[in-house]
This record gives sequence, structure tokens and C-alpha cells, in this order.
Amino acid sequence: MDFSDSPEVAEFRADLRAWLAEHLAEHADGVSYDSAEGVEATHRWHRALAAAGYVAVSLDPRYGGRGLSDLYEAVINEELAAAAAPPPPPIGHIAHAVADFASDDLKGRVLPGLLGCTESWCQGFSEPGAGSDLAGLSTTAAATDGGFVVNGQKIWTSWAMWADRCLLLCRTEPDQPRHRGLSMLVVDMDTPGITRREITLANGSREFAEVFFDDVRVPAANLVGERGQGWKIAQHMLTYERGPADMGWTGRLGNVLAAAQEAVRSGRLPADDVLRRRLAAVAVDAQVLSWHVARSLVDRESADPGSSGSIDKLLTTRVEQELYHVVDDLLGAAVVVGDQRPFSEYLWSRAQSIYGGTQQIQRQIVAQRLLGLPRG
Amino acid sequence: MQIGLDPEQRAFARASGALAADLAAGWDRGRGPHDVGSPEPSEKDWARIADAGWPALRLREENGGLGAGTVDVAVLVEQLGRHAVAAPVLGTLVAAEQLQTLGAPAATLEAIAAGELRVAPLLDARLLDFAPSADGALAWDSAGATVAFAPDGSAHALGEPLPAADVTRAVRRPTSPVPAAALELRPPTDDDRDRLHAFVLTLLVADLLGTMSAALDAAVEHARSRTQFGRPIGSFQAVQQLAAEDLVSVEATRSAVYHSAWAVDALPAAEALRAARVAKAFASRAGVAVCEDVVQLFGGIGMTWESPVHVWLRRAQTDRTSFGDEHTHQAVLADLDLAPGA
Repeated sequence: MDFSDSPEVAEFRADLRAWLAEHLAEHADGVSYDSAEGVEATHRWHRALAAAGYVAVSLDPRYGGRGLSDLYEAVINEELAAAAAPPPPPIGHIAHAVADFASDDLKGRVLPGLLGCTESWCQGFSEPGAGSDLAGLSTTAAATDGGFVVNGQKIWTSWAMWADRCLLLCRTEPDQPRHRGLSMLVVDMDTPGITRREITLANGSREFAEVFFDDVRVPAANLVGERGQGWKIAQHMLTYERGPADMGWTGRLGNVLAAAQEAVRSGRLPADDVLRRRLAAVAVDAQVLSWHVARSLVDRESADPGSSGSIDKLLTTRVEQELYHVVDDLLGAAVVVGDQRPFSEYLWSRAQSIYGGTQQIQRQIVAQRLLGLPRG
Repeated sequence: MQIGLDPEQRAFARASGALAADLAAGWDRGRGPHDVGSPEPSEKDWARIADAGWPALRLREENGGLGAGTVDVAVLVEQLGRHAVAAPVLGTLVAAEQLQTLGAPAATLEAIAAGELRVAPLLDARLLDFAPSADGALAWDSAGATVAFAPDGSAHALGEPLPAADVTRAVRRPTSPVPAAALELRPPTDDDRDRLHAFVLTLLVADLLGTMSAALDAAVEHARSRTQFGRPIGSFQAVQQLAAEDLVSVEATRSAVYHSAWAVDALPAAEALRAARVAKAFASRAGVAVCEDVVQLFGGIGMTWESPVHVWLRRAQTDRTSFGDEHTHQAVLADLDLAPGA
């Protein structure tokens, strides 16, 4: 049992800290998804990280990675959170899907832009009729001469408004059972027939979009893996989507907690005994969450990552939603009158139990796959 | 980073689990509160416990012990909780570690390690910490113990078991001093005291983990076999959602045990104690909440003496209270984190 860094990880961490100390201010200014300038600043930040060798480090060096374990991806997420830097580009899962399944030709065409962050990507999975029930999606890609013709609609597609390419999960085999009828395509977002429509979230965030596909032609060479392999690739991606990023998210929750503790310590926010105890209780939960995330990261090779990921997400949901309850109760009326950032952050905490598989679905996965309870 | 049990620790968990299950099978819950088996082990069972090296586990080799790390001790204690073992192993481990920290003579510790001297720790009347003296103290998990030592080295005989929620462990009062058995002890350094405290809290978290995970496993088994409306009740979403959150609590508690047990031997004492307080606060809440859910999942049968469900809830509530519940530790943590200038 050892929760501390190995010498190699400690050195990597120290190098990254030094790099952040020197370059963070220069590269991270103005990063957001709220405006064209903010998005451009975000892309600059991602390119700076890539140039310094901190993007997709777990990918094989043949493809531009550094061949390091997921732990190093986690360290990057953790250190960026600790420095209150913007997050790294969320592309590890896309990079692994392409690197592990695509043809050499496709890899050669798309991986340099993906890893160098000179091209930005989105992931077209959810649909209006297929959220929790993702395998029931209905966007089709009909095989034609030399390729596919895509028709359908995607929703909740993060960063689609600015993406150059989309990794699209779609139905190519309508005669097959639903999980086996899916395939994964790389779609250039400037292809004729693609329409994007921004979705403004309740908290004002402009990260999401709907994407409409009307007779969009995609060359056969842009098929990732084989026809019918889409679900398998999507499951493979899930194993890379959460673990390391959880570490960063946990760290960012830790920053929110630390700021609240500092405000109480300094007397800037008055807190009676009840609020102090609630703050201490949620600090306990946040600490246990960070230990748990570290454990699942190190454990994941031996465990079923999809299912233990559900446990991690449920635990994160508990902690995050309670944390914002306590923070908002500390702030009192300032949440509802005045600067609306605290209320926006609170609203976003309500999304934690919805995105990436709702709380109900995650519990069902835990109950049926881990506890072995029978399907209803 | 290497988080999880190594092959030797897994083997030790299996071996300890097998003996714990066997000891538990020999204990009779009876038909009601007046009929419940004593948690005092038979001579034969205590000999098996001593042969397994459990009382010696944490004592250093120069004291006749095995010098095991806290992770190994936690592995054993999880199994004690898992099988709700009605024998004072935890009390012995806690008393032995306290005496070792206070510099008790090697001969005394060797006798404890061999199972020849049966000791229990003295806690204050609120069960919050080790008692400063025998006055008003309680000998905790003390079934079959012949003596308890106060920090000044005075030895005390113990009275009859007091009425108690936990039917698997006994609490007794010190009665009269036994001057002939008194020891020369020394006050611990702050670091030694903190590390001892962290060790004890970690063991209670491990016992809670074993208790809550055994209870949840039983509830899941029940939900798979009990049918209503022509279907297993475990197929109902309301049952699944409850059980799933309980597994989240169990796994989070396991992470807390791993960290807190590692910290006792690896981090500076004050940090180890802080981690242990966090773990104890979390596990006290989670352990009782899971056991309460398990009562709910069993339905009426879970409210009867015929079912083992109440034994887990009794044990969890006792673990929760012993050495401070979530309120106790969160109050300390609030002071550490929120006091001006902290």
C-alpha cells in the first residue's frame, strides 16, 4: 500500500510544476467557452500544453504520445487543478479510440492535429432519443460507393461549435441487433450538410451544441475500425474518459472547498457552528473522494472500469452537490442577489447527476453489474 | 503509488477470514436478548486465536510480536467485522498497542502476544478516548480479559459485563486495583500518542468496513431470493437504487481504510491522525447508514432476533461511537481547518 509518488512520478510532477510556474500566466489568460476570443485562447492554451509535451502522454510514442501510464495523465489533471489552470484538452479517450482501432492511413491523417491541438474535436454520441439508452441511437450512415451518407441529429455535443472534426457514433447495420449495428466515423465538420446549433445552458455556459446531419458524405477511409465495431470502441473510450480527469475534477472541488474554508477562517464569510460542522463534514467527504479516485485509478487495470467508474461518478455527485449546498449556504443572500457566478456554479453542480449517464442509470449499472441484482 | 492489497495481504485476508468464520459459527445468537451467547471465547477458541498470532500481530519483535504494519492489522480487523466475531480480538489489539506505546515491559507484552495475559483497554465513560485513569472508566471489548491497565500503570480487575447494544463484544467496569500486577509505564510523546490514536481509529474503520460489507452482501442475497409480485424484490428499481448507493459507501470506506492504514506507518503522526479522523468520521456515517438500509431491505425479518441483521447494526453503532463518532471528529477537523490563523 503506498499513496505516495514513485521517484519517476515525483520528477514528472516537479517538471510540470516548474513549467506551470513559468508559463501559466502567459498561456492561460482569457480561456473560456463563452466567446470567440475565449475559445481562441482555449485553443492557444491547449497548443502550449501540447508543445510542452503534456497532451495525451499515455498514447504510444509512435502516435505522438509518451507511452506513460494513466497515472501521468492524472498527475497532469491534478497539477493543473492545483494551479487553478484551465483543464487540459479532453481528448485522451478520442486519441485512444483512433490509435487503438483506426487504420494507419486514418491515424496518419488525424492524430498529429489531434495531439498537437491544431485541430479541435468533438464527440457525437448522445441524441434526442438516445441519452441514457445510448445503444438505441438512430443517426444512420448508409453505405454507398466509396463511403457513407450520414443522416440524423446529435445533441449535448461539447465544443461542436468550434470543432474541426467529430468522432461520430452512428448506425451502419440496421439489420443487426442494436449494439452490433453501430460504427464509428471521423467526420470533417466542414462537410456540406452539417448544421450546428448552439445550446445555451441554464447557467449561461455555451459549451454544448446540437449537430444536424443531412446527407453528409463521409469517405470509407474515415471508418474507425470495422463496421459494427462502434459500440466496442465506445466502451473502450469510456475506460479512458473518466479516471485521470476525475483526479482533476476532484482537485477543482478541493479548490472550491479551500476557498470556502479560507473565507470562514478570515471572517470574510460568517459561519455559525452548524455551518462550520457542515463544512467540516463535506471536507471529510471530499478527502475520501480524492483517496477513492486515486485508488480506482491505480486499480483500474484489474477492475471492470465501466462499472467502478459508476461508483466513482456516484460518489463524486454526492460530494459535489453537497459542497455547493454548503458553499451557497455560507454565501447566503449573495447567491441570489449580486454576482451570479456562485449561482452558475451551483447550477452546474446539478448537472453532475445528469451528464455522462444519470445518477439513476449509474445506480442501475452498479446494482446489476456489480451487485448482481436481477434486471427488472 | 500502489493502492490495494499485495498477494501476501490477500492470502492473510483469506486465512483470517476462514478462522473468523469458524469462530463466528461457534457463537450462538440465541433466541433473544436473554439467551445470547457470551462473547467470551472458550479456552479452545482463545488458543486458536493466539496460535493464529492475532494478539501478537502489531507488537514489535522485541516484545514477542510479529511487527506487522497497520495495513495487515486492518486486513485482519475487516475480517473480524465481516464475520461479527464475538471474541475480544480488537480490544486486545488496542490494549496491546497502547501498552507498547507507553513502554510496558517486554515480559508483559510477550505474555499478551502469546495469549497468556488477557487485557482490555480502558476508555473514558463517553468512549471518546483512552481513559486518563480507572475512575469511571470502561474496559472496552473486554470479554474474558483478566486485567486492564490505566496510563499510570495501575492494574485493575474487571466486573461483570454491562448491558450493551453490541452483543458480540463486552464492556465492563474496573472494580478493584491489583497492585501486584501494576506496571511501570511512561507518558507518550505527542507523536506517539497521535500515532496510537490514528492506529486505533483505523482499526475501528476497518471493523465498520467489514460489518457494513457483510450486511450489504446479505441484503443483496436476500433481495435476489425473496420474491413478491412474482419477482425477486432485487429486480425492483427502488431496491436497486438503495443497494447501489450502499455499495458506493462501502467502496469509499474501503478507500478510506487503505489510506488511513497506510498513513499510520508512512506519514508524520499529526497527518496520520488527521487522515484517521477523516476516515472515522466518514465510516461512522456510512457504516451505520448502510446497516440501516440493510434493515430496510430485509423488511420485517430484519427486525427479528431470528435474523442476523440487528447484530450488524449493533456492532456498527458501537464502532461508530467508540473513540468518537462523526460529530466528534468533524468538530475537531472544523477547529483545525477553520480557526483563525489555522
